[in-house]
Amino acid sequence: MIFSIRSRGTWWPALCIITTLTAVSLYFLLIAGNWLYLGWDDTTYFFTNPRMWQRFWLTVWTSTVSSSIAMIVGIPTGYALSRFQFPCRHFFASVIDLPIVVSPAIIGAFLFGITTRFPFDWISDYYGIYIGRNVYGVLLVQFTVTAAFCARLMKASFDMIPPRFETVSRSLGASNFRTFFKVVLPMAKNGILASMIVVWARAAAEWEGLMLFVGATEGKTDIMPFAIYLDWNGGMMGWVTSMTIVCILMALTAMSAMRIIGGKSHVW
Amino acid sequence: MFGERTLYKLFFYSFAVLMFSYSAYLFVSNIDQLSVNREAVETRELTDVWDDERTVMNEFAGGFWKDAYFWKSLNLTLIITLITTLIVSLAGIPTAYALSRYKIPGKAIIEILFSSIMVLPASSVGLCLIVALNHGPLFELQKWMGFRFAHSIFPGMIIASIVLSFVFGVSAWKATFSSINPRFETVARSLGSSRWRAFRTITLPMSKGGLAAGIILAWTRTMAEFGAVLFFCGTFAELPASRFSDLVKFLKIDQADWLSVAVWSQIEYGNVEYGFALAYVLVIIGGFSVYLMHRIGAKGYIW
Amino acid sequence: MITKSLQYLLISFLLLTSSAYCSDKEMLFHAGVGQRSSLNEIKTVFEKRNPDIKVNFSYKGSGYFIADITRSRQGDLFMPGEEFYLLQAVERGFVNNYNPETDIPAYFVTVIITPKGNPANIKSIKDFARPGVRIGLGNPRSCAIGIWHQKTFKKAGIWDKVKENAVLSAKCIPELGNAAQHNAIDATIVWSTTAVLYLRDVDIVPIEQEYRGIIRLPVGVLKFARHNKEAEKLKQFILSEEGRTIFHKHAYTIDPTIATDKDGFCLDNKTDKDMEYLVNAAKAVKDSSLPLTDKFIGSLTGEVERQRKTIRAGN
Repeated sequence: MIFSIRSRGTWWPALCIITTLTAVSLYFLLIAGNWLYLGWDDTTYFFTNPRMWQRFWLTVWTSTVSSSIAMIVGIPTGYALSRFQFPCRHFFASVIDLPIVVSPAIIGAFLFGITTRFPFDWISDYYGIYIGRNVYGVLLVQFTVTAAFCARLMKASFDMIPPRFETVSRSLGASNFRTFFKVVLPMAKNGILASMIVVWARAAAEWEGLMLFVGATEGKTDIMPFAIYLDWNGGMMGWVTSMTIVCILMALTAMSAMRIIGGKSHVW
Repeated sequence: MFGERTLYKLFFYSFAVLMFSYSAYLFVSNIDQLSVNREAVETRELTDVWDDERTVMNEFAGGFWKDAYFWKSLNLTLIITLITTLIVSLAGIPTAYALSRYKIPGKAIIEILFSSIMVLPASSVGLCLIVALNHGPLFELQKWMGFRFAHSIFPGMIIASIVLSFVFGVSAWKATFSSINPRFETVARSLGSSRWRAFRTITLPMSKGGLAAGIILAWTRTMAEFGAVLFFCGTFAELPASRFSDLVKFLKIDQADWLSVAVWSQIEYGNVEYGFALAYVLVIIGGFSVYLMHRIGAKGYIW
Repeated sequence: MITKSLQYLLISFLLLTSSAYCSDKEMLFHAGVGQRSSLNEIKTVFEKRNPDIKVNFSYKGSGYFIADITRSRQGDLFMPGEEFYLLQAVERGFVNNYNPETDIPAYFVTVIITPKGNPANIKSIKDFARPGVRIGLGNPRSCAIGIWHQKTFKKAGIWDKVKENAVLSAKCIPELGNAAQHNAIDATIVWSTTAVLYLRDVDIVPIEQEYRGIIRLPVGVLKFARHNKEAEKLKQFILSEEGRTIFHKHAYTIDPTIATDKDGFCLDNKTDKDMEYLVNAAKAVKDSSLPLTDKFIGSLTGEVERQRKTIRAGN
């Protein structure tokens, strides 16, 4: 029993638990306040509106595409960062991590600059397509942020697997690539799945990079958080609150799935 | 000549080099935005609202080191970040300890709640704050107290920063405490020390690295905050000097903005050189914190 | 093993970029944030008529237009929040054949808005100078409304006192509307087209005629348009009768014979009727027993109906 009166110094556990419960109730009130503001009738109205589900579907498919590409790039990078020793390792890892430590609006400003420079402007002029201004801009922004995030997560996952397994496998005669695909990857499977879910959730919440250069075509480029911003600018509080509730539900679902799939093998 | 091991290493290195060069190119290719070009000067000549500041703006990087607005914004960001990190550490370390050691009913739900706040869009959190604080009973409370939380420096900005960096700090510290065997504390308590003393003398020194990593993580996350601060507080650069209290003027943070918000607002004004200069300052500060985290060897802490 | 995964990568890359070769022409339209609702409607009607043309919008605050267009050199059409910005673009050579007489589809009018219930009891411009009133001002460097705040208050002679009362310095006009909607300020001045979006949560007070400003909303085709013919087609559609009717439904003024003095302030009372419609519409949204006739609220019926459907604004 934690709160046995006879043991000394029970103020410390009491303090810890009270802090926890206060923090949890504040966060819960913050989130539930949205629903209280909206009211039951409005909730049914907005949730049955097809516009909401268009945005939802757009967010889901853009996040899936960009997080898949980010995973393809991120897994080998994480492995390289985790296993290989090379000079300036920390500097290398810091530069790769830079897109996530800076605010996403600044990344948007830099990406806007890069789409007007070589090689993007050359491709844009040659093929007559706009690179940054339509859904490909959304994918580009999401990819930039999630690839760095993914490399970080993968490095942490591969750090957890002792290198002894690979050494044993190679001493038994397997080639390097076979070891990687048949020994290391299956061991990291849980970590990879959990990371994929987290990266997906992060991509679905990425929008400040879109503010500066990707426009706001209804149904084509306004993913859910961006649509919240645009509707906030249009004074449509009903849409803002209901879409915030959907975003919160998406995040909660993703995190619950991550806990069920990842279990204890993940670094969180 | 090229053995299989070299090919293997080359395969993985190529992906790492690809990501490194993408990231580096992103930041390096925009350096030429810092220099003033003729067209930008001509644009500013056309509008007459830039009268008093035109000489400052029309030089390399907008001459940001000469501008009082930049130093005041840097002050503001650093002071608010320090206060936020302090409050988050004081409240977060006990929370993390409770979550990793004690049985609380519904712990799984609490952990899911905290981790989903981490992946919410930051501006949604700012919007939730406005909805919560400007309507209903909390608004009446603010009217009774005489000042408003939204659009203020103290406590508006602090609240907006705390809400997001708290969960990051707790996640890092919880992982630290979970990796320390609870047996050490049990042994200490069986030898007669109280719970607080066991924590203070046994667990804290053992988890020093992890605690430092969590503090740096919370600090970095607060510096990178943009959406919540923008929606909850707005900008203060154009407000009259009489709007700010004496304490704020003494700390030299009146008429300044949060740095990320300042970057965005300067770009929106058309002062692209100045905005990018501020962005590069933030990138350097952020890069330095990340490098520090890597050198400490912090494992598995992610933002 | 490696070649197989490389094949997959190549195929997926090709699939992703293949839709870039489709035959739809995509136009890029730079517009101010305040025009979003009316331009969306125009886009729907236009795309239905011309199924092979698609319009992408890029909404931003007015001050950023020239910087964006200069740096990216992309864009087909340009509709800033005020004629002033288009004239800048004309001077820089970005817009060809802009005719100030004919290329104005609509006008907007300045109006005072306050949170619901008008807590500070603002009835006219002079009330803004009362000490203790919390005012929201626009930033003249980034949005057109900021320049108009300066002009209006300087003409009334109370600019210094109003500056002292400022609580919020907004970068774009929706920030002012939101601050009024959420009770963060006591009063501000916005365009009528912005005020009409917030009818449920704000009260509208028309400005006296001598301080009421008329702002011209222009449209122009940019020099580096990639689809010149289609851009001209869209511009003609916006300037046609049908386009102007769509604008009128969103509380723009479309009467081109309104007289203004050299600063843009009203000289006659032709806009009084539109103001009356707006005030009535604000009352009609809050009180559902009021009728929705043309005599009462003019052509704002669509807006009022849309806002009556839900307690919190939506569509």
